[in-house]
Amino acid sequence: MGNGSTMSDRLEALLSAKRVQTEMKIAKYGRTLDLDDRGNLIAPDDFIFTPVSNHISNGFFGPYACGMNYRKLLHEHPVTVDPNAGLLGSWMVMLIDYKKPLWNPDICFEHLHKEQKMYDIVHGIGGVQHFLADYSLGLQLGFNGIKEKIAFYGKDCDSSKKEFYQGLNECIEGIYDYITRHIKKARELAKETDNKYISDNLNKLAAMNEELLKRPAETFHEAVQWMTWFLITGDMYNGGASAVGDIDRILKPYYENDLKKGILTDEQAIFYICNFLIIDNAYCQIGGCDEFGNDNTNKLSHLVLEAVHRMKIPASVCVRVHENIDKDFYYNAVKYLLTDRTGSPNFIGDKAMTEGFMKNGYSRKLAVSRVKCGCHWCAIPGKEYTLNDIVKINFVAVFDTAFKDMMSSRQEPSVSYLWDTFIKHLNRSIHVTAEGMDFQIEHMHEVFPELLMDLVCEGPIEKGLDASNGGLEYINLCVDGAGLAVVADSFAALEKRIERNKQITWDQIDKALKSNYKGYEDIQLMMKNSDHYGNGGTVADTYAEKIVKEFVAAVKKEPTPNGYNMIPGLFSWANTIPMGKAVGATPNGRYAYSPISHGANPLPGFKDNGALTACANAVASVQCGYGNTVPIQLEINPVTLKGEDGIHTMMTFISVYLNKMGGTLMNINIMDKEKILDAHKDPSKYPDLIVRVTGFCAYFALLSEDFRKLVVDRMINE
Amino acid sequence: MNRTYGCIFDIQRFSLHDGPGIRTTVFFKGCNLRCFWCHNPESINLQPEIQVYSHKCIHCGRCISVCPQNAIHKNGKSFIFSRDLCIKCGRCVDECITNARILAGRTVSALEVMTEIMKDEPFYNDNNGGVTFSGGEPMLQPGFLKTLLIACKEKNIHTAVDTAGNVAFDKFTEIVPYTDLFLYDIKCVDEKKHKQATGANNKKILSNLAALDEIAKEIIIRVPVIPGMNDTQEDMYAIGDLLKNLKKISKVQLLPFHNMAESKYESMGMEYKAKGLSAPNRESMQSFASIVSSYGVNAIAII
Repeated sequence: MGNGSTMSDRLEALLSAKRVQTEMKIAKYGRTLDLDDRGNLIAPDDFIFTPVSNHISNGFFGPYACGMNYRKLLHEHPVTVDPNAGLLGSWMVMLIDYKKPLWNPDICFEHLHKEQKMYDIVHGIGGVQHFLADYSLGLQLGFNGIKEKIAFYGKDCDSSKKEFYQGLNECIEGIYDYITRHIKKARELAKETDNKYISDNLNKLAAMNEELLKRPAETFHEAVQWMTWFLITGDMYNGGASAVGDIDRILKPYYENDLKKGILTDEQAIFYICNFLIIDNAYCQIGGCDEFGNDNTNKLSHLVLEAVHRMKIPASVCVRVHENIDKDFYYNAVKYLLTDRTGSPNFIGDKAMTEGFMKNGYSRKLAVSRVKCGCHWCAIPGKEYTLNDIVKINFVAVFDTAFKDMMSSRQEPSVSYLWDTFIKHLNRSIHVTAEGMDFQIEHMHEVFPELLMDLVCEGPIEKGLDASNGGLEYINLCVDGAGLAVVADSFAALEKRIERNKQITWDQIDKALKSNYKGYEDIQLMMKNSDHYGNGGTVADTYAEKIVKEFVAAVKKEPTPNGYNMIPGLFSWANTIPMGKAVGATPNGRYAYSPISHGANPLPGFKDNGALTACANAVASVQCGYGNTVPIQLEINPVTLKGEDGIHTMMTFISVYLNKMGGTLMNINIMDKEKILDAHKDPSKYPDLIVRVTGFCAYFALLSEDFRKLVVDRMINE
Repeated sequence: MNRTYGCIFDIQRFSLHDGPGIRTTVFFKGCNLRCFWCHNPESINLQPEIQVYSHKCIHCGRCISVCPQNAIHKNGKSFIFSRDLCIKCGRCVDECITNARILAGRTVSALEVMTEIMKDEPFYNDNNGGVTFSGGEPMLQPGFLKTLLIACKEKNIHTAVDTAGNVAFDKFTEIVPYTDLFLYDIKCVDEKKHKQATGANNKKILSNLAALDEIAKEIIIRVPVIPGMNDTQEDMYAIGDLLKNLKKISKVQLLPFHNMAESKYESMGMEYKAKGLSAPNRESMQSFASIVSSYGVNAIAII
């Protein structure tokens, strides 16, 4: 424990407590936690939560049951207060983890199962959150304001909506209870300690939080504290509020006001932001511009970046890049990426995101307000339901289906026949996906409504409608494709080896695939050493572009059967492993059940040298163009980009890709190859090593061997 | 442009070590020096050559079956490649399924090279990024080089030429108007040592440098630091003295020897004469840089 005398001592103490937690997580979960470190603490072994069921399946469904169980969880959940903290708030578990079964078995979607499985669709039914609450609205209302709003709209509501308001009410009462218990704990600790500084700090925090239960936040410190509560209580429901959005814009009025009054220093502001990000690793966007292209960067953008830099813990802060971005801010962002080597920040391009989203028929003003708030996605705060990052079509499974379909037909196989069959199945897979999303919107509110997000969105409380059920003004549903490189390279290999060079026959490749290349190692090598998407101008590149063009056209051809807009993107998240396990061997030489390619990236090793710009060109050429991302994932050896020259080269690389080439999102790991290989052998030697797995960063030591291998294999040697 | 042809052995994109910014480096094939440590042995001969990476070979025999010269033979488990019979037609390379056989060098049109160069064009604008023509010795294919330089300037792309300078000076005057930067290699000043190490006299190289200094926009001097060849203080004093009165030298880069090229020699059936040499250490590289810097030029050790 720090001596409590300075903020840097206190921060160091908080970070060392976090290190202890990480070690405990490694010990407790082994190396199986294939997720980002969200900042939650480990629950004590004797903590047992038993939800109250309202269904024969032992599950609980519907607004009241969910709200009531949430309130129960918050009441029973352990409460901890760190004496060094600048904010109250701690959390360990989520209600969703106790929701078994997650889906109500009475609400059946068996009619979709067969095709969902055939195309390996991550269908999103039962998917939670993955859109964004409006923190500015929440701060404006305060918890008391939310409570009054629920009471106001729920008072004379239609009887069919009563249960929804009851559910909301349970949630807000649960939050009051949870905060009150933290206040009580802080007061108790203040009494127990001999350290006057600590007792003063704890009493001050307790008093501030007592005020926050009565009125909205007024100061910067209060605003960050309010955001902390909403963030963690959202996470404790369904992981829901793990995103904040454009934090530098949200907090700006509080920061400026406090500066004017002389009650806040930048060091204090950084300290509070650090506390906030330690308690919950929130997805934030900094930088960006307004609808007229004016830079939005403010002092807080710098301070958030500085906080991430000082802590060097897994963070989810993204810099929004545009033509007029503040140069010093951009320089520091790139410098920290290269020197801190924590995979943070990542970079999103305003141009392609804004102009792309406008193509759905929205104004520029609305499009720039759609901010980065998840692994690869953006949402309009408080106004848009999206299912972002939880709906995916495995292109490799679609290809596999098409290949089998062709081989079992009477028609002579050919690449063009395979292509037509692939496109037929691709269209069908999109339709099945759309039906699944309609089903979700129809029924999710009866199963597990978005009660926490509803509190701080525009519409749900006013209309008495859950966000997942039309409570929000806009619905733009995400449809991501995954495994592009495997399919593009497969088409190219078939074209080259069977039709152009006539080195093998369809029958041979069919047998080779069926036997997982066993006994056909020559053919596997031949297929592997064909063209690779990513080199530019090859047959494989042409296929990749054609596949994406068809995919985008099919997604945009019409809305879902119930009329909701869909937005195409390409992203696999970390699903490359399970998606690989769903599909047999492929004609690009890939073994059965091995991982598929990452997002829109070319396969690792696609090019011997100059891979960075080649990769950038390739991924830029397959952007879907409607405001959802097609991220590029890059692993760069730090020796490639040394010193000031390295920073300037990277600044050029990122800004050209995002401002000029139509790129959307860049996820970059700066990884020392030897270190990562050594850490892969013995992760315990590097407990602090952080890597960007995909849209999220994680402690390397917490990842399973499969996941670690995925990251290691992606290393690009420049 | 599609009628001007040249022989190159590689085009490297995202090249960060051959001039400022993000660059594409085009490696010309053919060199008139024979530096015993050469890091790019595949660059020496002007003609395409077959490289064989035997560790990748699975002995499937596809190459044997397509070779019109019968230049490849099975000898027990290994394959014997008679280079004297090879006509470099490349059929074995096309047929190889493991990339164990590679054709080093290909004849390409200037248009093809420009197409590859233009792929990264957006990245060149900032920090004077652009294109570097390296080798081998790019100035041994002057017509091809000039065509490419002019094509780049038409697209407003920054150009650099990496040369050892061992050509007639009129080759320089031809391209100076289209060259933003020369990367000029100096091995050593001592005439005898130079001849021994590279097979060529350095008189022309040094006089060309002095003359180029009068007409070039910018020159970066590159000195490979090779054990036993130029890794003494005296050599560095001599280099500093040589450069002290030149006006266009923006910097001097000292590049340490490395032995990463060894496997390339093996793949080409060539003897690696620098075998066993080790890279100069960081301290001596830095002290060499400070010696050269003491002559008023900006010398940097690339370590």
